[in-house]
Amino acid sequence: MSVPLGHYLMLSAFLFAIGLCGALSRKNAIIVLMGIEIMFNAGILNFIAFWHYKYFASPTAQMFAIFAIAIAAAESAIGLALVIAVYRHYRSVDLDEMKSLRS
Amino acid sequence: MDTVYQFLQHAEEILRGIPLIGGLLASLYHALLGGAPEWVLRALAIAIPILFVLAVFPGIFAYTTLVERKALGRIQNRIGPNRVGRWGILQPIADGVKLLTKEDIVPRRADQFVHFLAPVLAVIPSVLLFSVVPVGAGLIPVDLNVGILFVFAVSGASVLALFMGGWASRNKFSLLGAMRAVAQVVSYEIPMVLAAVAVVMATSSLSLLTIAKAQSGGFLNITNWFVFRPWGFVGFVLFTIGAMAESARTPFDIPEAESEIIAGYHTEYSGFKFALFQLGEYLASIAMGGITVTMFLGGYNGPGSGPGFFGGLISMVWFFVKLAMMIVLNIWIRGTWPRVRVDQLMGFAWKVLLPMSIANIIAVGFWHYLTIRPVAWVVTTLWLAIWFSILTKLAGSEKIAQRTYRYAS
Amino acid sequence: MEIAFWIFSAITVLGAIFAITLRNLFHCLLSLIISLLGIAGFYLLLFADFFAMIQAFVYVGAIAVLMIFAIMLTHHVMGDEGPREVLGGKWWAGMGTAAIVAGLLWAIIRKDQLAQVLPAQGAGVPYTKFVETIGRALVMDWIVPFEAMAVLLTAALIGAIVIALEEVIRKR
Repeated sequence: MSVPLGHYLMLSAFLFAIGLCGALSRKNAIIVLMGIEIMFNAGILNFIAFWHYKYFASPTAQMFAIFAIAIAAAESAIGLALVIAVYRHYRSVDLDEMKSLRS
Repeated sequence: MDTVYQFLQHAEEILRGIPLIGGLLASLYHALLGGAPEWVLRALAIAIPILFVLAVFPGIFAYTTLVERKALGRIQNRIGPNRVGRWGILQPIADGVKLLTKEDIVPRRADQFVHFLAPVLAVIPSVLLFSVVPVGAGLIPVDLNVGILFVFAVSGASVLALFMGGWASRNKFSLLGAMRAVAQVVSYEIPMVLAAVAVVMATSSLSLLTIAKAQSGGFLNITNWFVFRPWGFVGFVLFTIGAMAESARTPFDIPEAESEIIAGYHTEYSGFKFALFQLGEYLASIAMGGITVTMFLGGYNGPGSGPGFFGGLISMVWFFVKLAMMIVLNIWIRGTWPRVRVDQLMGFAWKVLLPMSIANIIAVGFWHYLTIRPVAWVVTTLWLAIWFSILTKLAGSEKIAQRTYRYAS
Repeated sequence: MEIAFWIFSAITVLGAIFAITLRNLFHCLLSLIISLLGIAGFYLLLFADFFAMIQAFVYVGAIAVLMIFAIMLTHHVMGDEGPREVLGGKWWAGMGTAAIVAGLLWAIIRKDQLAQVLPAQGAGVPYTKFVETIGRALVMDWIVPFEAMAVLLTAALIGAIVIALEEVIRKR
């Protein structure tokens, strides 16, 4: 038949953990942003799973999901613009090299 | 798919209704599929549209290449290919054989996996686009609720193949071509989507079959086409320009212009992979032509089209006639207009097409709420004409000096 | 339909793992795209076809392209394979945190009553009206967040352009 809701919740929990691991352990700023995108997607998957299982008749969860996707897009745009600006200054996107507040 | 399934379920009665050979066809059907279980009919209902799409549209692609070369030849005052078979009819087959048997050269330092995958990823979205194009009354492979969104999602995914091809070749010209191609496709996607939003607003549905149905009726099934409305005409122009830029056809073929950047993102591809890139590009332009026909030119509607067996056949004929007209329009524009410069390209998309498409959306709003038709016509046409003149005045401010000829007189 | 869930979860989870583990930056991006398409597949399973298309359109068609441009503009020289070590300093802290989060969530979810719920089949809204419901909700009940999103996206657009612009160095 179909899977119980718990499967979707566990899946999104694992995806969140994977994204968190990537965002915290990698050196390259762009991969950190990719980890953040994976975390966003895990959260939105959670919203849609709850909508399907419990709140099928109301659009509230879908509204949350739409706004979350839009916010994720905006955040990703600004994050990548920041990465480009930082690259112009430091000549690298290596997060370990950006240790001081003065350039 | 649903239509094919219903046809298969009631096939015997429908076939018996055809004059002259109905009885024969019905008994043939009974012999083949008389006692077939449910899943066989379902599998056939899925397989038949897929086979139709895979057989018909690459065939159209093959002969489009021939028609294009002959037409470009005539525009340039020469005959196109005419050696392989009478009038060059077998030329596409010869081209296919040549490309298949060419040596497949991959640069040594290229990223092997991505280099291999890029041509495949260029073809997949183009073929997927055909699954939501209605070729006749009710004859659509999959009637998605969100058909138009599917079209744009898939053409957004085709951007990646361009970039993968350019990046994996480890060639500066390829990378430059890929960057320009991605910038061009992404910039022209937005006015295209907004022009489609105008149609969606007018029909309150994202499904392409519903949009085609909304254009039926009227005198000879023609007057209800959206291209004959003010906002529909502007939308048609915007969508066609966007579709030509999406599939990188002249005058927007900076990504693959031979005199500019060798061959852009497919420089390092030879043989079958190059053929796949060409297949992807032409199929995308044919699919976009089909979608333009569905959204603006009435889809399968024409005199004599309608539901039912013969109406369905006539509607298919009308669809392919209109698709052929769009392909000829593409070829004609390719043969006669020069290439747009890269900065002119971007300026055109962002400064002219995008505000025009937003004005078009507002025009559809006016059209919907002004229920007295003549007033709606006047207001909408005035609004669009005002915006068109403002935008073209603002954009066309580059003064070009009068050319002086030194030797020609 | 269960097999579809497992296939999509294999695609998504493997895509996410490769996206943060591979050495070549561009392969990471391709793997992320596969993962995002896997999530779009989940939305299709959950009857949210509008969101599946939005996911493919916004994430794969726009955000992934944005990342392509960012990678292209911040990559040193063509031909580099990337730094020798891909892990940042104190990487064990990151992996440890992720493991703790995953473990906690697993322990909570497996025993929860709510998590054993099977889907409520088709209660209320008919399938063909989903997009219309979303549209109506956006402009009637949820108009204020909608307009706030518009302002936020405009601010993000202008902000991203301003941040990424070249600084004009005035020569004195």
